[in-house]
Amino acid sequence: MTGLFPGFLILSAAMFALGALGVMLRRNPLVVFMSIELMLNAGNLALITYARYTHTMAGQVFALIVIAVAASEVVVGLALITGVYRSGRRLDIDALSEMRE
Amino acid sequence: MTVIFGIAAVLAFLGAVGVVVSRRTIYSALSLVANMVALAVLFLLLDAQFLAAVQIIVYAGAVMVLFVFIIALLAPGAEERLRPLELRVLVGGIAAIAFTAVIGRLALNGITVTAAGAFHGGFGPFSPQAVDAHGQVQTLGEQLFTTFLLPFEVTSLLLLVAAVGAVYLSRHRRTTR
Repeated sequence: MTGLFPGFLILSAAMFALGALGVMLRRNPLVVFMSIELMLNAGNLALITYARYTHTMAGQVFALIVIAVAASEVVVGLALITGVYRSGRRLDIDALSEMRE
Repeated sequence: MTVIFGIAAVLAFLGAVGVVVSRRTIYSALSLVANMVALAVLFLLLDAQFLAAVQIIVYAGAVMVLFVFIIALLAPGAEERLRPLELRVLVGGIAAIAFTAVIGRLALNGITVTAAGAFHGGFGPFSPQAVDAHGQVQTLGEQLFTTFLLPFEVTSLLLLVAAVGAVYLSRHRRTTR
């Protein structure tokens, strides 16, 4: 029953690569956050694939924890983006070169 | 099973491509929803029913609603199109394909699987049959609250910190110069 195992891993790798591309190429911070979600999901897929094919449970437990981490990351990130928007700046990663108030 | 995997994998891949190449932010968000629903199907194929449900509820439900809400609130304009012949796009695309090819080669060659299909170090005790007999959610819960108690507690602390941080960041400040 290891037939589809490489398929899951290749899909996971492709999703991770696409997420990394999105983080590096796009300028809209919202799209950058969605690309980060994509990478976290790719990691989740690999974790669960290995959990299934090694007959262990650690992968599923940590996939659950990754989902919690992703949710908290989104909450803080979107709060930051709305803060940037309210301070009157353009929503552009390249325009946000300073970290001061 | 192979057919379902093929359909879900193609949908997940197209969703991932859509996130990166869509010009409008809302299309990226909707592509991400499609990607996550397809991933939930893949989780079902991997005998992770609870995680498939969590994926739909937390990701496709809560997180993406938050995303769409913020997109509607901020109404960001369309970005310029990513031109495929631009140098940075070209280099990035080649690097992404190379990364996927390397991982695929390792997976197909079996860096973790021996020639007989068994894993180095042997199988763990949680075979799908054993998990089914005991109950999927029961097994996951028992593991979460016994073996992995410390990561679980650290996660709860992280959620608390994230909630406090979000409240602090989004509170109304009257003195912004």
